[in-house]
Amino acid sequence: MSRFTPKVEGGKFPPSTFSSLSGISLKPAYYQSILSDLPEVGFFEIHAENYLSKGGPARHYLHQIREHYPLTVHGVGLSIGGETALDLEHLKRVATLVDEIQPAIFSEHLAWSTHYSQFLNDLLPVPYDRPTLDRVCRHIEQVQECLQRQILLENPSTYFSFTRSNMSETDFIREIAKRTGCGLLLDINNVEVSCFNNRTNPYDYLNDFPLDAVGQMHLAGHTVDGNTILPLKIDSHDEPVSDDVWTLYQHTCRQLNSLNLASPTLIERDGNLPLLSELLAEARYADTIRQNVLMESESRYEQRI
Amino acid sequence: MNNEFKAALLTDDTRFYREIDAQTMQEKEIRLNVYRNNVVVSLIDALADIFPVTQALVGDDFFRAMAKQYLLVSPPESPIISEYGHFFSDFIRQFDPAKTLPFLADLAALEYNLLTLTNDAEYRTLDHEEVATAFAQAEDPSELYLSLPPTTQLLTSPFAIGSLYQAHRNDGRLRLNQVAINECEYLLIAKSHLIAQLHVISYEEARFFKQLLQNKSLEEALPDSNDFDLGATLAKLIEWKLISYIAVQPIKAE
Repeated sequence: MSRFTPKVEGGKFPPSTFSSLSGISLKPAYYQSILSDLPEVGFFEIHAENYLSKGGPARHYLHQIREHYPLTVHGVGLSIGGETALDLEHLKRVATLVDEIQPAIFSEHLAWSTHYSQFLNDLLPVPYDRPTLDRVCRHIEQVQECLQRQILLENPSTYFSFTRSNMSETDFIREIAKRTGCGLLLDINNVEVSCFNNRTNPYDYLNDFPLDAVGQMHLAGHTVDGNTILPLKIDSHDEPVSDDVWTLYQHTCRQLNSLNLASPTLIERDGNLPLLSELLAEARYADTIRQNVLMESESRYEQRI
Repeated sequence: MNNEFKAALLTDDTRFYREIDAQTMQEKEIRLNVYRNNVVVSLIDALADIFPVTQALVGDDFFRAMAKQYLLVSPPESPIISEYGHFFSDFIRQFDPAKTLPFLADLAALEYNLLTLTNDAEYRTLDHEEVATAFAQAEDPSELYLSLPPTTQLLTSPFAIGSLYQAHRNDGRLRLNQVAINECEYLLIAKSHLIAQLHVISYEEARFFKQLLQNKSLEEALPDSNDFDLGATLAKLIEWKLISYIAVQPIKAE
């Protein structure tokens, strides 16, 4: 196992509701309402790359919100799956932010976005083979070393499979977690999107996923693209969480619960932003599902006695 | 392999197609198109966020077509997308379809400049009372030295891009015909209240601020002109929260 463990709660920050309540994405449109209403929510998640400036409104509000809530930091630009070396200057800026706000979790993607010095602003897929596995593990170790903490790696949303892949995605991810000691961020919407697009069964995927390494879950909405020849689900983060994803989430909560595990859940939203209250309602719905799963298992236990 | 992947995203290069597990060429195209679309649309949207006035001026279709040409030749060089567009103004300057708007490149440079300044560090500045106290305590206020935050910029523009920018920002409706675009303008760009602010200033004010930025005393900075109103100009500096320090000795440049 890794010598890095997740850091939850720094001394200078308020007591945490992190593990009991779900969180939502932090967006500039919500800064004012959050600070005036201080709604009950487990945590807020930011994209690291939106808060790396020296000043400006985003950083100002982030620090104010940090005084009231736990945060999680989600990197979208480290390009851990990249063929070229990690951008060390960028990694250092991310490390400074992480050090400054002491998030409960830092997570990144099993994907690439940078090739040499060019950044393509998308989470591009990687083949599941031995050379890629070795490279991804090296990069994760490098990131954990620089951040001095365990990171969580997120399963990707994909729109095709590679002909050269010779491992399943779940085996690939399991091996990464085993070798590097990183935790996993299980994005349920990505499971639905990828399995739909690659014609596989999301329940098979979840049953094969290394749940014991999961440290956080993401829920988000997707859309179906316009082409009629081969409809694909697009991981767009601009709609409420769909019913099929809620059902998968409930299934996953049951699986986790049977292992005596629970995982902080994020309602992820990046576009077509609703009122803050609507996102908070989705977070509460996730809480309800988790609590119901817990009660189900307790009542089953009582019946057995 | 990612070289080929990148080429397939940004050009007609098909070498990468053999990597995609699909029955037909059409299926490969459809699957790859999701990524092509993500890359191109997200970068065009990013440029639209960074250059809103430029976009409003040329219209949505023209802007998106121009932005696409730009991103194909100049993809971002950093994952911090708010820093994207460093060369967009240079690109516009040599972009033939935009030649009928000779001020467009300068306007884009101004927008980029403002966003960069917004994201730059803040400096503490004096409030109204602190300024008043410093002036009241001075034996001879004309010998005082005023410093402005080091990120403050003075620009001379051959076109009235400051007025154009403000006409758009004030109500979102562009009134190009109300701006004498070929008039030269002096601009003060400075950060107050967390955000970069643009002020269109007079020639005399520009001379005065330039002297202050060069650590001259109020008396030395005063332009020799009847059109300059020191009281009114100082009131503006206080309102804009741009006085970072008042001293009786010259202030060393940082």
